[in-house]
Amino acid sequence: MNDAFAQLAMLGSSLVLITSFLLLWRRGTPAHVSALAIQSIALGATAGLVGYFADKHELYLVAVLLIALKGVGIPVLLHRMARRLGPARHVPPYVNTATSLLAGALLVLLAYVVMRPLVEASPLPTRAGMPLAMGVVFVSLFVIVSRRHALAQVIGFLMLENGIALLAVLGTYGIPLIVEIGVFLDAMMGFLVMQIVVYHIHQTFQSLDVEQLNRLRR
Amino acid sequence: MSEPALFLLLLGGPVLGAVLAAAIPGAPRTTRALVALLAAGSLAGALGLAARVVAGGVPTWGPEGLFRVDALSAVLAVCVAFVGALAMGLGPGGGHAAPGEGRRFRALASLFAATMLIAVTTGNVAVMWVAIEATTITSALLVPLHVSRASVEASWKYILIGSVGIALAFVGTVLAYFDFATVAGPQESALRWTVLMDAAPALHPAAMQLSFVFILVGYGTKAGLAPMHTWLPDAHAEAPAALSAMMSGVLLAVALYAIVRWKAVVALAVDGPVPDGLLMGLGVISLGVAALSLTGQRHYKRLLAYSSIEHTGLMCLGLALGPLGVFASMLHLVNHTAAKSMMFLLSGRILGRYRTADIREVSGLLRTMPVTGGLFAAGALALVGLPPGGLFLSKLALLRAGFATGHGWLMALVLALLAVAFVAVVAQLNRMLYGAARTDLPAGETERWALVPLAVCVLVLLVLGLVLPDPLEILLQDIVTMVER
Repeated sequence: MNDAFAQLAMLGSSLVLITSFLLLWRRGTPAHVSALAIQSIALGATAGLVGYFADKHELYLVAVLLIALKGVGIPVLLHRMARRLGPARHVPPYVNTATSLLAGALLVLLAYVVMRPLVEASPLPTRAGMPLAMGVVFVSLFVIVSRRHALAQVIGFLMLENGIALLAVLGTYGIPLIVEIGVFLDAMMGFLVMQIVVYHIHQTFQSLDVEQLNRLRR
Repeated sequence: MSEPALFLLLLGGPVLGAVLAAAIPGAPRTTRALVALLAAGSLAGALGLAARVVAGGVPTWGPEGLFRVDALSAVLAVCVAFVGALAMGLGPGGGHAAPGEGRRFRALASLFAATMLIAVTTGNVAVMWVAIEATTITSALLVPLHVSRASVEASWKYILIGSVGIALAFVGTVLAYFDFATVAGPQESALRWTVLMDAAPALHPAAMQLSFVFILVGYGTKAGLAPMHTWLPDAHAEAPAALSAMMSGVLLAVALYAIVRWKAVVALAVDGPVPDGLLMGLGVISLGVAALSLTGQRHYKRLLAYSSIEHTGLMCLGLALGPLGVFASMLHLVNHTAAKSMMFLLSGRILGRYRTADIREVSGLLRTMPVTGGLFAAGALALVGLPPGGLFLSKLALLRAGFATGHGWLMALVLALLAVAFVAVVAQLNRMLYGAARTDLPAGETERWALVPLAVCVLVLLVLGLVLPDPLEILLQDIVTMVER
C-alpha cells in the first residue's frame, strides 16, 4: 500500500517536472499554455492522490481548485489573451533551446543536492518527490530570467507557484487549508494584475518583447 | 479604549477608506477629508496599541491569536500608519490633477496601507506572507497611475521581480513548516510566531538554514537588498510621490520586519555563523551598490531610491551585529521612515513645479520654493547622517556595535562607503538648492498647509537625534530581547 503510494506520488511529481521542461523546449505561447494546463492537472491529481492515501480530505478541495483554476481557468484566459494580442512575431529567448535544456538538467541536480538533508529528515512515503518539486521551482526561475516574451515570464511564474504547491503537498501533506485558500486568492489576484500590466505593455510598446523595456537604466 | 476597538481603528480605518474612495465618485473633497481622517484614526489606533505594549501588555485579537502586537509589531505599525496618514492627507502629489487618478490613488493606497498593517500585526506566519504578497498587488497597480513607457516598464519589473521574490519567501516558509511538522507532527498552530519560537531549538539546523536562505532572498527582494534590488529604483522613481513615500518609507521596512521575525526563529535553531554571515554579506553588498549608484546620479527620485537601498543595507547589517546592532538597526528603521517618506513627498512638490526629475534642470530651489527647499535640505542632511538628525545616532550605534563584536575591518569598509554616499548626495543637493533660480517658473509656495505635516517629520528627526524618548527605548529593548533570546 505504502509502496504503491510512494510510486504514484513519484510518478505525479515527475509529470509535473517534465511539463516544466516543455517550457524550455517548445516554442510559442499556445504550447506554453498547454504545458501549464497539463502541469496543473498533474499537480491536482497528485494532491488528490496524497489526499486519498494519507487520509487528508481537505486536499481534495485543493486538488479541485488547482485543476479548475490553473488547469482550466487561467489557461483559457491566457489563450484568449494570446489571441487578442495577435500572433506576435517570434521573440527568441536569451538562451537557446539546447543550452536551456542542459541548464534545466543541472538545476534538477542542484535541487537534489539542496534537498538532501530534508529528504533524510522526513518520515513520509512521499519524500522522494521533494527534490523534483524543488527542481520545478528552479527550472521555473530559469524560465523567468531567460525568456524575453512577457507571457512566457508569466507562465514561468505560474509554474513556480505549482512547484511550491507540490513541495507543500509532498513534504507536509499540504499546509493548513485556510492558508492554502489565502495563497490561491493571492495567486489569482497577482495573475490578474500581471494581465493588466501585460496589456499596458502591449499598448505602449506594441510588442511583448521585454527586451524593449530597457529605458530605465541608471 | 478596549483592545478590539484599537485593532478595529488600526485595520478597519484604511479598509473603510479604500471602500469609500472607490464607492463615491462625486464629492471628491468630502471623500478626501474622510479618507484622511480614517488614516489618522489608524495612526491613533497604532499609538494606542503601542502604549499598551509599553505598559507591558501584549494586545491580541481574533481567533487563535490571529492578531498579536508585541514591541516589534508596535513599532512597525506606528511607522506604517504614520506614513499612511501622511500620504492620504497630502494626496498623490507630483501635480497630478485628474480627479479619477486621485480617487484611484486613495482607494488602492488605502488598501496598500491596510495590507502592510495586517502583515506587521498578525501573529501568523502564513497570514503575514499573504499580506506581504498583497502589498505587491495593490501597489503595482498604482505605479503606472500615469500610463507611460517608463511607468509601464517600472511596474512590470516591480510586479514580476516582487512576485518571484515573495514566492521564494513562501518556499522558505513551506520548508520551515515542513521541518516543524516533521519534528512535532502537523498542526496548524505551527504557523504562529509564538509556537514556532518555542519549538525552534528542536528543529533541524540544516533544514532551517536552507529555509532561511529562501526567506532572506525572498523578503530581501522586497526589501530592496542588492543584488535583488533592480526593480526598486525604477518603481520608486516612476510611482506617484506619495506611493514612493509609502514604498520607500515603510514597505521596505515591512519586508525587513519579516526577515527580523524569521531571523529570531532561525537563530534559535541554527548554532553557527551562517544566518549572520548572510545578513552581513547582503547588507554590505547593498551598501556598496547604493554608494556607487549614488555617485553621479542625475535623477533626484532615483537618488532617493538608491539611498533607500543604502539604508536597508545598513539595517540588514545591523541585525547581524549582536544586541546593540539590533537596537541600532531598529532605531535606524524608525529614523529612515520619517526622513525618507518626507523626502519623497517633497520630491513630489518639486516635480510638480519643475516638471522634470533631472537634477541638472533643478537649480535655485531655495529661491523658487524656500520652505520646500529648506525641508529638502534638512532631510537630505539627516539622511547622510549629519547631527543633529536621528540617523546620526543610529548610524553611530551601528558602527559601535560592529567594532564591539570584532568586525573592525568590515566597519572600516562601511565607513568608507558611507563617506562615498555622503559626498554624492551632498554634491547633488548643492546643485539643486543653489544656482540661478529658473526665471520661467513662478516663485513662492503653493498649498502651504501641506508643509505643516512635512515639518513634523523634521521635528521627529530632530527629537530622535537629541534624545531617545523613554517609550521608544522600552520598545526597542523589548525587540532586542525577542530577537536575541
